[in-house]
Amino acid sequence: MEEYVIEAQNLSKDYSGFKAVDGLNLKIKKGEVFGFLGPNGAGKTTSISMMVGLLRPSQGKVLINGENVEKVDKIVIGICPQELVLWENLTCMESLKLMGDMYEVPGEVLKKRAEKLLQDLFLMDKADTVASKLSGGMKRRLNLALALIHAPNIVVLDEPSEGLDPQSRRVLWNFIKSLRDNEGKTVILTTHLMDEADRLSDRIAIMDHGKLLLLDNPTNLKKEIGEGDVVEMKLNDPEKNNQIIKYLENMHLIESAHVIDNHINIRALNAVGLLPQIMRYLEDNNISIADLSIRQNTLEDVFIELTGTGLRE
Amino acid sequence: MKFISIAIKDFKELIRDQRGLFMILGFPLFFMLVFGFAFGGMGQENEPHLLAVVNYDQGTNFPLTNEEINFGNNFTEVLQDSKYEDSDVNLFNVTVTTESEADRLIKSREVDAAIIIPEDFSQSMVQLINSNLNQQNILATPEGTIPTSNNTTSVIIKGDTSFSNFGVSQAILVGTLQQFQDQTVSTISETISPSTAPSAEFITTSIESVPGTESFSMFDFLAPGMMVFAILLLATTVAAALSREVETGTLARLKMSRMRSFDLLFGGLIPWSLVAAAQILILLAVAILMSFKWQGGLNSLILAIFIAVIGGIASVALGMIIAAFAKNDRQAANLGTLVTVPVSFLSGAFFALPPVVIGDFMGKPVQIYDLLPWTHTLNALRAVLTFGEGLNEIMYSLGWMIVLTLILFVIGVGIFSRTRLRAEN
Ligand SMILES: Nc1ncnc2c1ncn2[C@@H]1O[C@H](COP(=O)(O)OP(=O)(O)OP(=O)(O)O)[C@@H](O)[C@H]1O
Ligand SMILES: [Mg+2]
Repeated sequence: MEEYVIEAQNLSKDYSGFKAVDGLNLKIKKGEVFGFLGPNGAGKTTSISMMVGLLRPSQGKVLINGENVEKVDKIVIGICPQELVLWENLTCMESLKLMGDMYEVPGEVLKKRAEKLLQDLFLMDKADTVASKLSGGMKRRLNLALALIHAPNIVVLDEPSEGLDPQSRRVLWNFIKSLRDNEGKTVILTTHLMDEADRLSDRIAIMDHGKLLLLDNPTNLKKEIGEGDVVEMKLNDPEKNNQIIKYLENMHLIESAHVIDNHINIRALNAVGLLPQIMRYLEDNNISIADLSIRQNTLEDVFIELTGTGLRE
Repeated sequence: MKFISIAIKDFKELIRDQRGLFMILGFPLFFMLVFGFAFGGMGQENEPHLLAVVNYDQGTNFPLTNEEINFGNNFTEVLQDSKYEDSDVNLFNVTVTTESEADRLIKSREVDAAIIIPEDFSQSMVQLINSNLNQQNILATPEGTIPTSNNTTSVIIKGDTSFSNFGVSQAILVGTLQQFQDQTVSTISETISPSTAPSAEFITTSIESVPGTESFSMFDFLAPGMMVFAILLLATTVAAALSREVETGTLARLKMSRMRSFDLLFGGLIPWSLVAAAQILILLAVAILMSFKWQGGLNSLILAIFIAVIGGIASVALGMIIAAFAKNDRQAANLGTLVTVPVSFLSGAFFALPPVVIGDFMGKPVQIYDLLPWTHTLNALRAVLTFGEGLNEIMYSLGWMIVLTLILFVIGVGIFSRTRLRAEN
């Protein structure tokens, strides 16, 4: 039997009639990286705020290790909020020590741990710099370190890679993996980067409009939509997009066709094989192509399939 | 100890936010300077205060000599003859009159104040002399009512409290009456001996000048008010600091930890109390530079700091209540000003307020303003700094202040915890 560390039961949040989260049911396994994927406003932050006990649900409840979240000793949870939550006038070291003290981490352990975190997140030479004088990415990393100073078993990261350069992002990804692989932590992360969710997560919950649309591992999610390719096409005359879509929708073997960002996105099991037919149609109708690409299915495609749009930014 | 970590954190934030710190210490300082210039009487001529005297004193038999004596008349003469220190300008321009006429004069501002001498004034004086001979000390309080003895009516000082001249006259009257009592008692005590019974003549010894009055100005009366205003303004700063913690989300961080409300709020008290103490010292120094007549020496300084710290705690409590209702630090600052300025007025920080008696406590009338801890902060500070009184004399004010501050603190912690330290709705 699998061990679940967090269980959300029929979790809902109403903001004066508007349902930010709507009947969320899920179980998160011990030691997995669990990704929440969804566009802006999907309800990711609201969901995890309720899951860690910062926000009171309108309905439903959250169990942590089988116990109601309100009663749980919060030392098991570490949360890295989406916004920067720092004491502007405290240095990195002082901030870490403060949070460590608040979690009653013994002095010696605290000192070692703070140093290790600063080292791992490449902040060691900024240890004595006040937060307001850090660069944006450094603030992000400090924001993360503050969530980990008490060595929580459940680490909740709300869009941790936001505002990081590619290099720092890689550091973060490796760090998250090592949290799971070397320390056996359960990591919950939200993101709207398909790539990130795909690479890091053991399982992904896709959300939109407060609802859970799908929950599975990345491989299965991709399979669910069907193996195959994606053809993306950009026309010189975007006015013709709808005409093409109509044609494609009636075409045999095409799984879906959408307009996303002025590109026509065509998914099919064997899109390459269908290309000649499509090209002929374009030629017959005097439509010219500005750009054409063929690639493998990604989570983004899953998302498009589910929500009918690309990621709203 | 988590509250110590919080205290250190708050202290660091306070010190490092130099602009904020400058505001906390600078703003009241600015007020003190303005008031010092406006009311400090720099280069101003001493002028007699216009005073109505209503004398109901029935006189009494002076036991040592069995002579009929009327201390009320003597005191009236003293008031007529008193001079500013090192000056031959009279302290008062006295009109002896009836109570109704005195009221009229006050209303029309033809006098600055009226003093009403009770029927049993002479009896009380005799009792005072007797008890003094038994080595007892009875002291005046600066509130305007002088307990002349354990169980008698008091001399009443009346005036239009919205009239700035009244404050000064009242303060000088209190001093003069005190002086009269002390001088009378000591004159008799000195001259008394088993063989020669003193004549009542001694008692008519006049007071020529009241020490300190040569420069006693409105400012001496107002300076402690400025200190209370500064202490009250702390509530705004505390509210802003707490709201900032809410707004930036750092409070949510702390909420997720093992920190309890007690750690946050008690830890916060420590640095803010230090600020209150620092404010008093700085403001006193500025006030003295601005001609404030500081009485009481080092002892009074220690007492003043103690009073300021308690007043500061009351302000922190008020700050927590404000922070419970403000969404961000700007709102907290606005709401804070909206609350602290009226409260400053109600505490009498700028001028004395018309009496609104709502009851009696320990033989003293309780004013509605007495429900505010800062009223007592002001009374105690004025007693200690302006009148040079000691711990015993401010016990009454201190008692009130401590009890009210405790109540306010409990309310503050309760409201703040309920609104800000639970899971959000
Ligand atoms: N305090 C609030 N009051 C009213 N509505 C809110 C509140 N907080 C969030 N919402 C609404 O709830 C919805 C979900 O917000 P949430 O922050 O959970 O989205 P998200 O998935 O985290 O988005 P993002 O990727 O932009 O962070 C949004 O429409 C938002 O406007
Ligand atoms: Mg979010």
